[in-house]
Amino acid sequence: MNIPGFLVRNAFRNKRRLLLSVLGIAVSMFLLVTLMVVLRELTQPPNDGGSSLRITVRNKLSLANPLPARQLPVIEKIPGVEVVMPFTWFGGKFKEDEPLMWPQFAVDPRKFRKIFGEIRVPEDQYEAWVKDRTSCIVGRDTFKEQKMHIGQKLTFLSGIYPCSVELTIVGVYEGSIDDRVVWFHHAYLDEALGDWGKVGDWWIKATSTETAAQICALIEAAFANTSDEVRAESERAFQLSFVSMWGGIKLLIGGVSTAVLVSLLLVTASTVSMSIRERFRELAILKAIGFQRRELCAFILAESFGLSALGVVFGAGGAWLISRTVDIKSLTNGLFVSFEVTPQMLGTAALAAAALGILSSVFPAMSVARMSVVEGLRTLD
Amino acid sequence: MQPIVTIRSLSKVYRQGEMEIAALDNVSLDIAQGEFLSLMGPSGSGKSTLLHIIAGIDRPTSGECRVGGVGVTELDDSQLADWRNQNVGFVFQSFNLIPVLTAYENVELPLLLMDLNGARRKELVHTALELVGLADRARHLPKQMSGGQEQRVAIARAIVTDPKLVVADEPTGNLDSASAEAVLEILRTLSSKAGKTVIMVTHDPRAASFGSKTTHLEKGRLLDVA
Repeated sequence: MNIPGFLVRNAFRNKRRLLLSVLGIAVSMFLLVTLMVVLRELTQPPNDGGSSLRITVRNKLSLANPLPARQLPVIEKIPGVEVVMPFTWFGGKFKEDEPLMWPQFAVDPRKFRKIFGEIRVPEDQYEAWVKDRTSCIVGRDTFKEQKMHIGQKLTFLSGIYPCSVELTIVGVYEGSIDDRVVWFHHAYLDEALGDWGKVGDWWIKATSTETAAQICALIEAAFANTSDEVRAESERAFQLSFVSMWGGIKLLIGGVSTAVLVSLLLVTASTVSMSIRERFRELAILKAIGFQRRELCAFILAESFGLSALGVVFGAGGAWLISRTVDIKSLTNGLFVSFEVTPQMLGTAALAAAALGILSSVFPAMSVARMSVVEGLRTLD
Repeated sequence: MQPIVTIRSLSKVYRQGEMEIAALDNVSLDIAQGEFLSLMGPSGSGKSTLLHIIAGIDRPTSGECRVGGVGVTELDDSQLADWRNQNVGFVFQSFNLIPVLTAYENVELPLLLMDLNGARRKELVHTALELVGLADRARHLPKQMSGGQEQRVAIARAIVTDPKLVVADEPTGNLDSASAEAVLEILRTLSSKAGKTVIMVTHDPRAASFGSKTTHLEKGRLLDVA
């Protein structure tokens, strides 16, 4: 026998308690990693290949304020701009009772593929979409989930604009980071709104990534001191500013994560304390036969550490395994797109477990260090 | 014979709020090498306290206690732990074996603190278990053994480091008469044949009669040495 062997024997003396404790820590660690994934998903949407060339232009006042359509030729003339396309969120309801998880955007189909180059649509379907002003293309996920078919009519009642649109599905796309959207003609929206002369935002494709920053500055300068000042930024910057509106959610998730960790700490500390209290007499005997205080404290630390380590392996490992094997996108109805457990998250969980191991062993270790052999022996008589 | 334990003017006072209780009151005593001393007395007479101080697991309020020339009252906690490991073997009333370890592993436990290789540890454990007649029960867990056997394993654990001193606190208190006799016989052999100094606390005059000397304590004072 050696000291590590002795520690393992001690850890397994009450197998049911060990199992329940490890299970408790594992579930909490799983929850912690899941919360980190959710937070990442909300605050850091994944990049795709074309995003470095894309620029969005929105109203400087707020995302909700539209921009005048007359800005188009001004932007098109700015050096480095390859394509400019109107982009308006329709905010439609498909069926009155159902909250829609698949948004609809009005765009210019002729320019659409130049800007979102990663999106794949069969050529004949794309051509059909460009030709028919009342047609639309639908993301593969929504198409499958809603059991749609080509030629089907979709009627949306806007929650933003005083109109509705009736669209015909002519194609199905895939290859974007979110294959749920319905894309239709901006011209059709303009018509439905009586040529209102506005767009939600402008989406631009720059000729090169090097010129993107310069283009943003030139666009903002072009509309400075007008009634519709704009804010131009890269797609990445736009995403980050958009998710900054999720501040409350971030705080909530942070709060829940902290609560999980604190309750986990209390449960583990209680388990370790109980286990040590039961063995007070044995620890007194070990002290009597020559074990030093520091050695007994190291035993307690190792036991607590081992418990946390097993918990994190099963909990964080389980979350990682699920992220690799389960189709979270379908399972959450497209709410979470990538659901990726990153090495940083696993590292954070491991650090949390290490801190848990240390903190939960502090009080039991202190009481054993303070205990005199005689005091410990008295617990048996 | 040269005393191995020298105790001079030893006192131990416990404080409970305003009250002071003297567990030991100015005790002086010499214990010779190889002696088997039985410490007798009623409950609360201070016999266990005296045993604990000699074994280095308790400290006196005043006085001196030297074992094998070492002033145990002068050592700090860390030095005392090392000293106990090399010089004192403990036998307790309730055996106090580690339930998850086999007889062999329980006996091996004090050797883990010494700089010994596995082969040497194995040799020492087997010798100790043979000495108490339990070599064939080496792989048994404490719950698979009788009380008498458990106490014999505890004695093997006490002597495996070859200490000068073996202290036993009511070692037969939880045993039937036949097992008690076997345990006392082993302690007597340790004293008479192996030259170990054995100090045993007991209430039982029959158990005390196995010792080469008996000392009575009452209210913390030494009455006589028979």
